[in-house]
Amino acid sequence: MSSYAIRRFKDRLFFFLGIACIVLAVLPLGSILLEVIVKGLPTLSLKFLMSVPGPGGKNIGGIGPAIQGSLILIGLTCLIGIPLGVLSGIYLAEYGDAPYARVMRTLNDVLTEFPSIVVGLTVFLVVVLKVSGSLGLGFSPLSGAIALSFILIPIVARTAEEAIKLVPNALREASMALGVRKWRTTISIVLSVAKAGLVTGILLAVARVAGETAPLLLTVLGNTHFFEGFNEPIAALPLQIYQDALAPDPGIQARAWGAALVLILVVLSLNIVVRLATRGRMGSSVRK
Amino acid sequence: MARLMDLGMDRLRNLLLEMGQLSQQTVVTAIEAYHVGKNHQDVNRWSNKLKQLDDQVSELSIELIARFQPVASDLRYIKACMEISYGFYRYGRYAHDIMEVLDTFGDLTKCDHAVVESASGTTKQMIELSVEAFAKKDVELAKKITGMDDYVDDAYRDYISKLMKSKHVDLRCALSQTLILRYLERIADHAVYIGRSVIFIVKGEEPAFEERS
Amino acid sequence: MNVEKEEATSMTEQGGEQARTEEFMTNMAESMDGAPKLRTVDLVAFFGKNEALHGINLAIRPNKVTAIIGPSGCGKSTFIRCLNRMHELTPGAKATGQVLLDGENIYAPKTDPVLIRRRIGMVFQKPNPFPTMDIYDNVAAGLKLTGMKKGKNLDDVVKNSLQQASLWDEVKDDLHKPGTSISGGQQQRLCIARTIAMRPEVILMDEPCSALDPIATSKVEELMVQLKGTYTVVVVTHNMQQAARVADYTAFFYLGKLIETGPTASLFENPKEELTERYLTGRFG
Repeated sequence: MSSYAIRRFKDRLFFFLGIACIVLAVLPLGSILLEVIVKGLPTLSLKFLMSVPGPGGKNIGGIGPAIQGSLILIGLTCLIGIPLGVLSGIYLAEYGDAPYARVMRTLNDVLTEFPSIVVGLTVFLVVVLKVSGSLGLGFSPLSGAIALSFILIPIVARTAEEAIKLVPNALREASMALGVRKWRTTISIVLSVAKAGLVTGILLAVARVAGETAPLLLTVLGNTHFFEGFNEPIAALPLQIYQDALAPDPGIQARAWGAALVLILVVLSLNIVVRLATRGRMGSSVRK
Repeated sequence: MARLMDLGMDRLRNLLLEMGQLSQQTVVTAIEAYHVGKNHQDVNRWSNKLKQLDDQVSELSIELIARFQPVASDLRYIKACMEISYGFYRYGRYAHDIMEVLDTFGDLTKCDHAVVESASGTTKQMIELSVEAFAKKDVELAKKITGMDDYVDDAYRDYISKLMKSKHVDLRCALSQTLILRYLERIADHAVYIGRSVIFIVKGEEPAFEERS
Repeated sequence: MNVEKEEATSMTEQGGEQARTEEFMTNMAESMDGAPKLRTVDLVAFFGKNEALHGINLAIRPNKVTAIIGPSGCGKSTFIRCLNRMHELTPGAKATGQVLLDGENIYAPKTDPVLIRRRIGMVFQKPNPFPTMDIYDNVAAGLKLTGMKKGKNLDDVVKNSLQQASLWDEVKDDLHKPGTSISGGQQQRLCIARTIAMRPEVILMDEPCSALDPIATSKVEELMVQLKGTYTVVVVTHNMQQAARVADYTAFFYLGKLIETGPTASLFENPKEELTERYLTGRFG
C-alpha cells in the first residue's frame, strides 16, 4: 500500500472515530430527551398544566403551581442575581488587576463549583430559620431566590467578565479619547458590544438554576397550592419532580414525567425567545 | 550596508568622474592645439561625447529622484551632480569653440600669445582643481578655485581695454585673442560654479556670494 | 535648463539671493506663528520602572501640522499619548514634567484629564468606529455620552463634522448604516469626524494611515492639511515621505529622545544632526 493510501486511511479513520465520539456523547442526551418525551407527552394537557396536584390514583391533577412557582423563582433570582452578577463581571474585567480583585476572582470560581446542597443549607440557616442572628424569612420565594442567586451570580460574573474582556481595547480607547468618563464608557460602549456574550452567559446560568433542586428543598419546601404570598412556601418544578418520582403510585410518577418535560420545554423556550430578541441588533459585523 | 539607491548613486559618481577627466583633457588639448596652430580632430568628438554624458547624468538623476525619493545629503548630491555635469559639458563646449576660432581665423602664429598663455595656464589649474575637488569632496580645494577667478577675469578685461587704447591693431589677432580669452573666462567661471556645488554637497548651503569689486 | 543658464550673468549670484529670501521667509513664518499651542517641558514617561521618554522639550505651533518621525520604538507614540493624558491609562504607566496647553499645565494636580481630552482629540492607527452604532450615532457619540441632548443642534454638528472630514457627500444618504459597513478609509474619516464633533483645539493622530491603502491615505493626508486651518494637528508617522508631504514642522525622535526639530523643508534638505541624516538617508533602521 502506498504511503498516500495509508495516510488517507488514517485520515478517514480519525474522522469516523470523531463522529463515533460525538454520537457517544450525544447518545445519553438523546436518550434522556426521548425517554422524557415518550413518558411525559401522554400526561400533557391544558388541564394538566393549570390544575393543582391531586392525591393520586385516578386524580393526579396537574402541575400548575409548580410551573408558576418555578417561573416566579426564576424571575426573582434574575432580578437579584443578574445586576449583581453583571456588575461583578464589569468590576473583574475593568479593574481586575488589583490584588483584591484577584482574590475575588478566585473565590468566585470556587463558588461556581460549590455543592448546591451546601448552598441550600447555608441559606436555610442564615435566611430561613426564624431565630436570632438570621433573617428569619422562613420558607418562601425570597429565600429560594436568594439561594438560587448564590448559584447564578458566580456564573454570570465569570461569563460577563469574559465577554467584557473580549471587547477590543481600541473601542475603550476611542471613547476615552473623546473625553467620555470611564464609567460611561463601560456602560454605553463596552456593555453594548459585549451584549451577545453577556446574554449567552446569563442564559446558561438561568438554565442551570431552573433545574436546581437541592437548594429549594431547604428554602422553599414546596406547596400544593398556587402562589400564596412572599412569606409562604412555594412550589417548584424540580421539587415536584423529586417528590413525585419517589411516590409508589404510577400515576403520580407519570405526573413527574410530565413535569420533567415541561421543565425542559421552559428552559428551551427561554433560550429561543432571548436569542430571537437579541439577534439582528448590530453585532460586530466588520466589513473588509 | 548598501542601500537600493547606492547602485544608482555610484553610477552617477562614475559618470561625473569620467566627464571630469574627459573635459579636462578636452580643454587642455584645445589650448595646446591653439598654441601650436594646428586643429585637433578629437576635440570635436570629445565635446559631443560630453554632451551625451551630460544627458545621461540628467536622466539618471531624474530616475533616482522619482524612484527613491532621496532626501538630505543624497538629494543635495544629486542636485549638485546635475549642476557639475553641466559645468563639465560647458568645458567641452568652450574647447570646441576654441577650435572653431582656429578654423575661422586660419594662421595665428604671428600673434603674441603671452596673455592667452598665462590666462590659459591659470584656467587649466582651475579645471584640475574642480575635477579633484569633486572627486575628493574637498571643500578647501573648492575654495581655492574662487580665489583664482579674478586673475582670468582681469586678463580678459585688461586685454580689451588695452585693445581699445591701441592705434594699430591686427584685426585677426585681436579678434581671435579676444574670443579665446572670453572662452577662457567662461571656463573659469564654470570652474568656480563647480567648486560652489562641491561646497553645497558637503555643507548643505552655498557660500555667500562675494560682490565683484 | 542648459540654455537658460547660459544667459544668466552668474548663477551663484541668483542662488545667493534666493537663499537669503528663503531664510527671511522662514523667520517671518516662525514669528508669525505666535506662542506655541502645546509645549512640553522636561516630559519624562514611564512604563513601570522603565523610562521610555527622556526629558522632551518640544513646542507645537498653532494651526500647523507637526509630524513626529523616528524608527520603531523611539517613543513617538508614547509622546503623543502624553499630550492628551492617554498614556496614564495603561496600567503602570505615568508621566512627569509639564505639558502646557496655551500656557497651562495639563498635568497640574487638580486638572481633570477627561476635560483635557475634550480639548485634545485623538485618532488611532486602526480605524475604530463603534460597531453597535450607525454612522450618525458614531459621529454624535462623544457629544451624546458627555451630555448633549438630541435635537436639531445635534444634526447640524453631525453634518458639519462629516463635511469637515470630507465624508459627508459619501455617506449623507446612509447615515443609518452601521459604522463598520463602510470601507477602511471611510471608517478612518468617520473617526476623524467623531473627533471633530467634540470641537477640540488640537487633533492628535497616531499613524492614521498605516492601515489604509494608498488612495485612502492620500485622502486623509489632504484632510490633514485642510484641517490645520481650524485645528492644530500633530501626526505620528513611520513613513517619512508622508511627513515630508503634509507637515509644516517635523520632529525626529530616537530612543526616547528628541534629536532634532525644525521646518520640514530644511530638516529634509539639510538636517543638522548626524543621527537625523542617517535616519533620513536610510542608513539605519
